[in-house]
Amino acid sequence: MTIVTDWAEPKTIKEWSQRVFALRPILLILLVTGILILEMRFDWVERILGAYLVTTNAARPESGAVWEKGHRARTAQINLEKIITDRQTSQREARSAQSFAQIAAGLSAGQGAMLSAERFRQLYLEMLPTVSQEIISTFDLLKIAGQGNWRRTYFEKNGDDLIAYLLDGENRVLREIDIPSNVLPQLGRQDSAAAETLEDLPIFKNRIYPAARFFEALAAFPDEIRRNMILNPAALLIPSGQIMRVGISDEAVSGYIDLGFEFANGTRRQVVLAQGQDWAVWRLRSYIEGKDTAASPITDYLKDQKPR
Amino acid sequence: MTPAITFMRRLSSLIYLGLLVAGLAAVSAMGIFFMVVSDLPRVPEPLNRIIETPPTEIFAATGERVLLLGGREAVPLNRISPFFIEAVTATEDHRFWEHHGVDKLRTLKALWITLFEPGRIQGASTITQQLAKNLFFSFRRTYMRKIRELLVALQIEARFSKQNILEAYLNQIPFGIGAHGIEQAARFFLGKPALELNLAEAALLAGLPKSPTRYNPYRYFERAKVRQKIVLARMAAAGFITPQQAQEAFQAELNLQPRSVESRSGSYFLDVVLNHLEERYGPDVVYHGGLKVMTTLDSQQQSLAVDSVQSGLAKLDQTLGIADDTENSSINPGLHPQGALVAIQTNSGAVSALVGGRDYSETEYNRAVQNNRLPGSGFKPFVYYTAFEKLGLSPATVVVDKKVTIAVNGAPDWKPRNFSRTYEGPMILKRALLKSVNSIAAQLVERAGPQAVIETARRCGVESPLNPVYSVALGTSGVSPLEMASAFATFATGGIRHQPFLIRRVEDSLGRILEEHIVGGQRVLDAAVTYQVVDMMRGVIDEGTGAVVRRLGFNLPAAGKTGTTDDYRDAWFTGFTPNLSVAVWVGFDRGTGMRDNNNNGITGGKGAAPIWADFMARATAGEPPREFSVPSDIRLEKVNPVSGSVAGAGTQDPMQVALRTGQDTIQASEIFTKKPENSPKTPEYTTGTPAYSTRTNKQSTIVEEDLAPER
Repeated sequence: MTIVTDWAEPKTIKEWSQRVFALRPILLILLVTGILILEMRFDWVERILGAYLVTTNAARPESGAVWEKGHRARTAQINLEKIITDRQTSQREARSAQSFAQIAAGLSAGQGAMLSAERFRQLYLEMLPTVSQEIISTFDLLKIAGQGNWRRTYFEKNGDDLIAYLLDGENRVLREIDIPSNVLPQLGRQDSAAAETLEDLPIFKNRIYPAARFFEALAAFPDEIRRNMILNPAALLIPSGQIMRVGISDEAVSGYIDLGFEFANGTRRQVVLAQGQDWAVWRLRSYIEGKDTAASPITDYLKDQKPR
Repeated sequence: MTPAITFMRRLSSLIYLGLLVAGLAAVSAMGIFFMVVSDLPRVPEPLNRIIETPPTEIFAATGERVLLLGGREAVPLNRISPFFIEAVTATEDHRFWEHHGVDKLRTLKALWITLFEPGRIQGASTITQQLAKNLFFSFRRTYMRKIRELLVALQIEARFSKQNILEAYLNQIPFGIGAHGIEQAARFFLGKPALELNLAEAALLAGLPKSPTRYNPYRYFERAKVRQKIVLARMAAAGFITPQQAQEAFQAELNLQPRSVESRSGSYFLDVVLNHLEERYGPDVVYHGGLKVMTTLDSQQQSLAVDSVQSGLAKLDQTLGIADDTENSSINPGLHPQGALVAIQTNSGAVSALVGGRDYSETEYNRAVQNNRLPGSGFKPFVYYTAFEKLGLSPATVVVDKKVTIAVNGAPDWKPRNFSRTYEGPMILKRALLKSVNSIAAQLVERAGPQAVIETARRCGVESPLNPVYSVALGTSGVSPLEMASAFATFATGGIRHQPFLIRRVEDSLGRILEEHIVGGQRVLDAAVTYQVVDMMRGVIDEGTGAVVRRLGFNLPAAGKTGTTDDYRDAWFTGFTPNLSVAVWVGFDRGTGMRDNNNNGITGGKGAAPIWADFMARATAGEPPREFSVPSDIRLEKVNPVSGSVAGAGTQDPMQVALRTGQDTIQASEIFTKKPENSPKTPEYTTGTPAYSTRTNKQSTIVEEDLAPER
């Protein structure tokens, strides 16, 4: 390796010329000029830098306005999905609910669920008459349905109560139905088996009678009254087995009283619920218990009744 | 040493110094490059991903989209007018198709000007650099930001085609008034797709991105034209067009799209909608979530409402002697009266139009919902309803219009005065409302109690704080136009209250419902009593303080009430047909009184009712007349407006009143001659001229006090 230590400044113009116009300086100048011309002509620096940056792109952060916007959009989508999921969950639960009580149980405060008018009618019809009358009269519902513009029903919680809005096609409320929280537990009751034995149902405590005695008493009344004692007797023909005992509730709800029929089918037992008009059932019970010895003509009963 | 040697020595020193500086610069540039490169933002691929965010769309009730938020209406280059592409490239970056991200000559020139011409700053950003800046960087001017911006531009150029870059750029540049991208801009400003822009229109739009506010053609048309000329000149200089074409294009007429609700990023109505959405879902969901919002907005009514308010206020300016400065500069909101209008569908509560000021671009303060101004006599319908319901009075009840002094516990006595400062003596209540007699309203509230009046207002939907004082009868607690329109809608429906609402349904981008409004009406007022008040309010329009409405040509059955506050600070008119309830307020933001050149005050009848009438006449044009439904227990009778007795053949100017079953004419007038039983202190009914005379009405056995009116 040669170390230049003997460099000396040229003393004459000739020496300067010899040095300046030597091959190396000229090549260097040509090289630099060429580089500059090529850069101006072909933008190779930009191309090289750009190409290099392309290779590092994947490793760089997602920062800047467009990415922030993207992150916000993703956050928004996540939030929206949660809202939608919650709503769909409550909708799904409401659609699969077998009673208004289950709809109420599936709704949290501030949430609502929309059902078709058809589904509302199904749930309404599956309720015990005693209970269904409690929330809306069948005649009122018939009137609304008859008008032909009831499309959907919206349920929402109001505190512990449940509110149902019967809506037309433009979301106008045709009828608002408030279902108090104390009624809600009863909405889940249906005619189907509610328990295995009458003892399982406290409402029949101390008022359980042998079936033979019950039907004997029932037979003592004319048809006009019997129709009010068991409103839908045909439902009792559906379960297989023998009716062993009958329970009579002591509690009237909206003018109706529950009756429990305990069926025995081999070793299997089940209770089927039915309803009767309170005045008729009370009369029947009095007869069973021997407090009323004779079945009076229907007019005797009906004349004391207030129109419902 | 010869001069030549000296020269050569200096030259060589300079060369070595230059090489040294260049070397150092190169090393520094490399250092900076590697320092910056790891922190550069990642460029999304493909580039059009930047326009993939689903937009939030807001629709009017009639189905048309009124606002697009967040998203872009992207169009490929072949759907953009070639004129516009040429205009943009000529103006923003005429060597766009040649460079690779940076225009070195332009940059050197800009650097020279910036360094050596103090006070001048020359921009040299290419379209690619502008795209990089818009996508990733703030608008803070720093050298480091410029370097980063430059490097990202180089990467974009290296990765994407010129067509991709230009397409991305044209689809995201802001043109002002909420228009992002050329397609939106073309539709907003010119009502046509970007493909159909002609040379003049393309040049106009291409000039806007430099400063969208400064060159907003709606507000500064002349500036926009100057900018258009520059664009055309640059196009000609770049060889895209001839100077002749440039001249013709400059002289061509520009048909700007009327400034509809759609052509603005915000409006008072949309502000309320957006505020509700933000409160409910948060800003991220609203602006980036791709919501579809169906509102109650009736675009046609909204346009009419804006027009009615603006033209009404312009006339009011003239009446007040305020100079029109709109040509030269923006209106100073403080110097001009403001106005608000709210229109509500009575049968649902749907707000179909809402205007919160004379111009949203001047002031975004929403007087329709945020401004609680005193309603004055506009509050009296609540007083009369309360008196009818609670005290059993009727529109035919006779009460004496006289000076009254009402004692207030722990406060000075309240001495309400009539607007006219005169007192007319006995008159039936219907006449009292028609003439907006304060002394009679005061007597009614004294008897019914302010709390009862407030309770009536609450039932109708007034939610603002109301002071439980006697003067509440004369509207001394502030309410918003939205509240007034909504509350009066309750009268229009015969007492059924509908919650006012602006959003019918909200869906996500896939059409899944997030919320929907349920239109539930609730009876809050007695139908028959309500009809009595409505019948009286009809009188206000037909022959009372709001009669200007009829004079201006609005002829459908309608009812309403004027309102004017002390010193003419507020002028109201709230009225309704069976279908539409509309409240109009005008006044100065600072509460200055409104007086014309003759020092006459601007009342509700003068300032607000004309706006109401203008709007209603146009909003209900073509509608068949529809009467207010009359409850079965209402009968209509004509009575003497002074005595309240049944009108006979000789009765002068008989007045028709609505009476409920069991109500007779003038049956309750005597109660106002007795001491109120539940008054905290004995009221001191101060009469004016003690010129009493008693007379017996032939149709009635009730003895009236006849008070000579004080003038």
